Amino acid sequence: MTSGSVTARLPAPARFVLGLGLLLAFAAAGQALTGALGLPLPGSVVGLVLLWAALGLKLVRLHWIMDAADGLLGVLGLLFIPATVGFLQFLSAGAAWGLWLLVMTAGLLVGAGAAGLIASRLLRPEDA
Amino acid sequence: MIWVMLTLLAFAAGVLAQLRLRSPLANPTLIGTLIVAAALLLTRVTYDTYLHDVQPLSALLTPAVVALAVPLYRLRALLARQWQALLLGGLSGTALGVGVDTLLARALHLSPDAQRALHTAPATSPVALQLAPFTHAPPALAATLAVLSGLIGALILPALLTALRVRHPLARGIAIGSVAHGVGTARAREEGEQAGAASSIGMGLAALTVTLIVALLA
Repeated sequence: MTSGSVTARLPAPARFVLGLGLLLAFAAAGQALTGALGLPLPGSVVGLVLLWAALGLKLVRLHWIMDAADGLLGVLGLLFIPATVGFLQFLSAGAAWGLWLLVMTAGLLVGAGAAGLIASRLLRPEDA
Repeated sequence: MIWVMLTLLAFAAGVLAQLRLRSPLANPTLIGTLIVAAALLLTRVTYDTYLHDVQPLSALLTPAVVALAVPLYRLRALLARQWQALLLGGLSGTALGVGVDTLLARALHLSPDAQRALHTAPATSPVALQLAPFTHAPPALAATLAVLSGLIGALILPALLTALRVRHPLARGIAIGSVAHGVGTARAREEGEQAGAASSIGMGLAALTVTLIVALLA
């Protein structure tokens, strides 16, 4: 840690702005990369991997982005509302929704149930 | 911007309800969604108009997903030690989720559009959107079913995992993220940083797994 670095002395609001700017930069980089390579992956997930690599390589310091990351992640559920409200476009499907929800629920229960049990079995003991 | 205001207030009302009611159905995303949907229906404002108005809010979703790198980096030692459990748990959860969604939709004779859209429900909605040309699903329906799948997962999966005695935060997180991606990860974070980080790994793996399955089968 470069504790004496000038960025550590930035006031919290300025650090938030710096962090948000960097997160947007990595989001843009992820989107540019998926576009250029024609990857069928969301730019945001590619940006996540790029930021993770940059943190590991110490190109980006954790304290630059921590406040902005924690702030955005604290309201992650809010940022999905514009997408979830999209069900309004398909209200005309009417009764078909019952079966759609049934299928999704079955997939969720089987998938997550199996994943949870498999992962529990494979976890290594904490103190080994 | 009036719809940005309403969405923010509806979400805040959802967080307050969650603090008050302590019920799994008192999920801030669910409550926010229902309030906004009711307001749109009452005022006869179309979804397209709404989506255009809340663009500033939607624009923050991409950097928020990028921000998931922070808990992954903070917990890197723990996650590296448990990579087998996370990788195999996540892959099997997503693959089974896609399998059940596909086969059950076929068995129940759902409409071809719904069947195709359900293939990608275990992946985060931008993936579902990008894979729609390959699955021949209507893109908006694929994205909507994906995000709703995440929302339903956020509501029911914590109780399922508790009933199955899956207690370790990493196992709970990877299970939720492998099928309930974004909204599920928001819910898993409520259980703590480990569950949240494992869930975001599950979400990332699910994006890759579903893409791979569609690429192989399309």
